Amino acid sequence: MKRRIILDTDPGIDDSLAILLALASPEISLEGLSVVHGNSSTAQGTVNALSVLELAKAEHIPVYAGCELPLVQPSLLAPETHGEHGIGYAKLPEPLTRPQSQNGCDFLIDKIMSNPGEMTLVAIGPLTNIALALRQEPRIAKNVKEVFIMGGAIRHEGNTTPLAEFNTYVDPHAAHMVFHSGMPITLTPLDVTYDCIFLKEDLNRLLKTASPITSFIADATRFYMEFHDEYQHIEGCVINDPMTMALTFMPEICDYQELYVDVDLSGGVSMGSTFADFYRMTQKPANMKVALGVRPRVFMELFMERMEKLAKSLT
Amino acid sequence: MPTTRIILDTDPGVDDALTVLLALASPEIQLEALTTICGNIGIEKTTRNALAVLELANASHIPVARGCESPLVSLLGKSGEAVHGTSGLGQANLTEPKAQPVKQHAIDYLIERILAEPGQITLFTIGPMTNLALAIRKDPRIVPAIKELIIMGGAIRQGGNVTPLAEFNIHADAHAAHIVFHSGIPITLVPLDATYKCLLTYADIEHLNRINSRIARFVRDSTSDYMDFYRKYEGFDGCALHDPLTLAVILAPELFTFEEHHVDVDISGGVGNGNTFADFMKVSKKPANMRVALDVRGRDFVELFLQRMETLCRSMEEPTQ
Repeated sequence: MKRRIILDTDPGIDDSLAILLALASPEISLEGLSVVHGNSSTAQGTVNALSVLELAKAEHIPVYAGCELPLVQPSLLAPETHGEHGIGYAKLPEPLTRPQSQNGCDFLIDKIMSNPGEMTLVAIGPLTNIALALRQEPRIAKNVKEVFIMGGAIRHEGNTTPLAEFNTYVDPHAAHMVFHSGMPITLTPLDVTYDCIFLKEDLNRLLKTASPITSFIADATRFYMEFHDEYQHIEGCVINDPMTMALTFMPEICDYQELYVDVDLSGGVSMGSTFADFYRMTQKPANMKVALGVRPRVFMELFMERMEKLAKSLT
Repeated sequence: MPTTRIILDTDPGVDDALTVLLALASPEIQLEALTTICGNIGIEKTTRNALAVLELANASHIPVARGCESPLVSLLGKSGEAVHGTSGLGQANLTEPKAQPVKQHAIDYLIERILAEPGQITLFTIGPMTNLALAIRKDPRIVPAIKELIIMGGAIRQGGNVTPLAEFNIHADAHAAHIVFHSGIPITLVPLDATYKCLLTYADIEHLNRINSRIARFVRDSTSDYMDFYRKYEGFDGCALHDPLTLAVILAPELFTFEEHHVDVDISGGVGNGNTFADFMKVSKKPANMRVALDVRGRDFVELFLQRMETLCRSMEEPTQ
């Protein structure tokens, strides 16, 4: 039985790679994308989602535009990380397919409620769409099968402020609502994603398979690698989002702990910071499973193999 | 004067119910719909009460859309049962409404109605603003399409009524208030500074009940606990007409003293959480984002309210047995 997946995403370089990984993975069936602001604007992210699906000949998968702004915080996009158009130096043709007319939040509600206990939600951008959907239809919390979230930095430092990770920093209020919703959550924080670096050697290996897919990965990640080199002195780039997707069908990539995790909304220096109650100081029950250890090469091999297979299958 | 077409986002609630009645009793206003929200009491009861009050006034043709059952981030606040009674309507015993809410969620209902007729609908929020905040984020096109937004909420120079600094509606969902205040919608705020000047007294209610009408009895029965609360906690005989006063912005704007200010709300989670404050000295250099009713000729409004209630009561007067 394939795992049925809805992807809430802000493409985004690593979002695009997560879409490709989903399409390359027979264990899962990607049934729709809702787009949110974050790495790019919602309008740009929607175009990117459609273009990446077309690149992989998967334009039958519907794309829905969701919220354009965070709930309370001012808008924060990331052109310096993902490029002006959100996909680095890659240039994809204008998509021929159009987004669906339904709002992304309504898509999440309808899809989850009409398939109770069936849908796995993978959320790899700020959590605005999911938070809004939860308030409009609280029963989605009980009817979603599982939620895999890329976000937060538990013991790890932040990548947007010294303490906060990008997705939770951009809409900490939405993260707060989702974390406290009772949904069955698996969190993929920077603690594990920063252990998985996509290296230049990895890229060179991929490029041995000549294909529009591998060219896209090269052009998209070259920008990402320059960013990581300039700001974080990392040779290569961190591909947070595909790992979150991989955990839906290969959970053994990571080690997990059940923890009570909260997010700071106080507006101080730790705004948007995520923290786990390791010592049970709050006496609150765990609200999620957190990936805190990882076998990086297991994930990287999986990613590389799947990308090579996808590239070959489309050539 | 042309009729003002309004949608009322409400959490009935005693003074919410009186607002519905005042709207129905006012020819200047055409009440087009109610959207409900949790606040004074939970969403099941506020929705039921909205339908029941419309039926009481023979107005069940007016649609009701059910809204959010919890605030955005804050935990569901202390229930308002101490003020509004277990049903939300004090001692009034309204029959179970026959009408049902519309299928659409209040968020989508607001979006659809506002976008269908841009610039035509004046929106009133007299409860926590969760529905409107989410409607703004879901479809930002409603922002320029709302003619005017009139809010019961906040306490500018006045003390709060739920914490020393914060007023109930804003405190119940301070984040939603923050979203709405900074949305760019043209806002008129009616804070406690004005509403506490509008006190309905026992004598007023007795006077109204010379008319034998279920409306008069409802006003009496719904407000009796509310008045006890005011006597016990706030030390006066009577109750403040917080929510109904918002309608006076349309019915009798000359009663108010308005000032244009930049108003913000504290969402830091500290002792000032939910506090609304105006930048009187322009220290933030931010342009005004709303018109604030800082004062009102309170008794004049109460007289207007009573006059309208009397007309409504007489229209539904029952023969004395």
